Amino acid sequence: MEIPDTYYSKDEYVETASGNKVSRHTVLCGSQNIILNGKVIVQSGAIIRGDLANVRTGRYCVIGKNSVIRPPYKQFSKGIAFFPMHVGEHVFVGEGAVVSAATIGSYVYIGKNAIIGRRCVLKDCCAIEDGAVLPPETTVSSYMRYTARGTIEGGQGNPYFVPAAMQDEMINYTKSFYEHFVRAPAPAS
Amino acid sequence: MSFMQPSPVKYACSCGILNPINTLFFCRHCPKLRCGFCVTHEIESHFCSNCLENIPSTEARHKKNCCANCFDCPCCQHTLSARASTVPVVRKSEEAKEPKDGDSKGEATPPVPASSKPSAVPTTKKMYYLSCLSCRWTTRDVGIPDQGVATGTWPDNECLYQARFNALVEYFQAVVLQEKQEKLEFMRRKAPKQHKFPSLTDRTGLTVSLIRRQIGWNDKAPKAKAVITPAEATAEVEGLPENIFTEPLNLRNVTTITQRHSQPADQPTAVGSLYPQRRSLWIKRSLRCRQCEHNLIKPEYHPTSIKYRIQHFASYHVPEVVMVRCEQPLVAGKSNAILLKLTNPTIYDMTIRLLTASPPEDPQLSTEATRVAKEEPISSSPLLKAVGITLSRQNSTREVKRDVIDISNAEIVPLESEFVLNQRDDSKEFDEDVQLSTEEPKFIVWRKGNKVLLRLQFTPAEELSGLADVVLGFYMQYTYVNTVNNAQEKREPTTHVLHSRVFITAGATEQKAN
Ligand SMILES: [Zn+2]
Ligand SMILES: [Zn+2]
Ligand SMILES: [Zn+2]
Ligand SMILES: [Zn+2]
Repeated sequence: MEIPDTYYSKDEYVETASGNKVSRHTVLCGSQNIILNGKVIVQSGAIIRGDLANVRTGRYCVIGKNSVIRPPYKQFSKGIAFFPMHVGEHVFVGEGAVVSAATIGSYVYIGKNAIIGRRCVLKDCCAIEDGAVLPPETTVSSYMRYTARGTIEGGQGNPYFVPAAMQDEMINYTKSFYEHFVRAPAPAS
Repeated sequence: MSFMQPSPVKYACSCGILNPINTLFFCRHCPKLRCGFCVTHEIESHFCSNCLENIPSTEARHKKNCCANCFDCPCCQHTLSARASTVPVVRKSEEAKEPKDGDSKGEATPPVPASSKPSAVPTTKKMYYLSCLSCRWTTRDVGIPDQGVATGTWPDNECLYQARFNALVEYFQAVVLQEKQEKLEFMRRKAPKQHKFPSLTDRTGLTVSLIRRQIGWNDKAPKAKAVITPAEATAEVEGLPENIFTEPLNLRNVTTITQRHSQPADQPTAVGSLYPQRRSLWIKRSLRCRQCEHNLIKPEYHPTSIKYRIQHFASYHVPEVVMVRCEQPLVAGKSNAILLKLTNPTIYDMTIRLLTASPPEDPQLSTEATRVAKEEPISSSPLLKAVGITLSRQNSTREVKRDVIDISNAEIVPLESEFVLNQRDDSKEFDEDVQLSTEEPKFIVWRKGNKVLLRLQFTPAEELSGLADVVLGFYMQYTYVNTVNNAQEKREPTTHVLHSRVFITAGATEQKAN
């Protein structure tokens, strides 16, 4: 199914020179530590905690409404330390997801209201179902699907869980999401 | 919206099952659509999905398809993480360090300040235990002592039947080996003799055994047959322990069925006997067409690689149909139109027709299919057949075919003419020009590069009631330029006229306004 156009008003979103579209209704803490590599959409209500550690995303990422991007921490005997978070290209973070992963590869799909525990590693081309909860330090390898029941399914070449052409699917999906995320036409005065 | 949700557009696979295009593959040799059901799945490589280590198949078999380093929680089946804890150790070898200080001659090694290693402070040692970050189970809960090394040193949980089980495995391995040898022997005897007398310069190594047999000696000393003590059934069953009647049952200490099944060797009934389980390995699969045995996909070997060495996804060969929207709300019996976006993924122009009835089969393809079928029996020798060994893989090469269930419940108005879907040209991707051709058929809304948006008229069936899903079905006929050839003599690409059946779930009908 074709993605329908999503309209935003000129006042709601800021468009940067590199094509990032960032809502004004977001909480970007420590914005000097947040690097969005171009054509990234950060929708309203999203929180990115750049004040804890660096957050870097690749091109064509979608940070959904009310989602939280929070760099992971590790506990040491003398306290805790936060670690930077890297997100690859063409990553979709669904609405209301809480992401505290150490690294997220490219072409990753994170469903609505999913919770990615601290220091998880999501490899390229994996998918997290809507509402799935990943305990801390979980590794989801490529072409695996983490289900809402808490199981890991799939694997490269298994056509039933993650599409074999996941890379193409994610590129198409994030690109068309960006192309269909358009400014509402100015009301005729 | 996204590919994670069920797609409204489904293609009928050549085996008759309806699939969205992203789970379909395309065999260029047949040339037909294939799905996960009608291909053979083969193991390409073994790996651990947690530590991402590639494990060769022989090693995987030796390790019983388990990772040597990773463990699963016996309580919730999540992965266990190693946790370090520092334990004070009484350093008894304090004097052992003394000669080392004497050894250092000052010039050879930089002088170490005495304060850097104060001998008075009690030394600590790192000890590791396994902990589940999902359910908080730890190896300490069941009294497994901490280990000095983080990975791999956890002893296997030896169960009661381990020795017996190993003996059985050994025995049956010997039986299999023996059967194999007997089969080989049988084949050797059956093989036609080329000469009456064995050549002494024969290099196959069979000469000796042939001579031995001609003299009348036994070919080889008969191997000692594997023996095993058979299990004995007993009528006596131990009585229940006394405490089962006296002590109250604490359900918190009883394991669940899942927990028991995840620990198959001993299947503990009490949570105190849970033991970390080695994590099962995962596989990468390659898929093979059953009819022509060509690979459809073959992933790259390495666990972290997402690439393929062979990839024939249907979306690379078959025009993709995307449903955009219906023009009006769906009402039973009321004429409507649907907008469809068709994309040509190939680098050749395609001519497309949407038909309501099955087009005739491409004669070229049907003859090829029969040719393949005729050749099949010759490919494996009758001798091998007689012994029951086939050189080919042990799967049916016959195609299982079923009729496509027609689920459509709307009548479509066929397009008045065929149209051309332009080739894919990656250099034109950013070209936003909408080409306005004068003699464009009426049903085409717009055309951009290799994409066409078309308008298809249809009428949902009159008898649909309530909130029923309207399904459109049609045959999409398209030309496909095949660059691989089954026949050796032809070198130039051949053009086939193929068709696939497409079903589109347009949405639910609205209540008819009275
Ligand atoms: Zn099939
Ligand atoms: Zn492992
Ligand atoms: Zn657990
Ligand atoms: Zn084939």
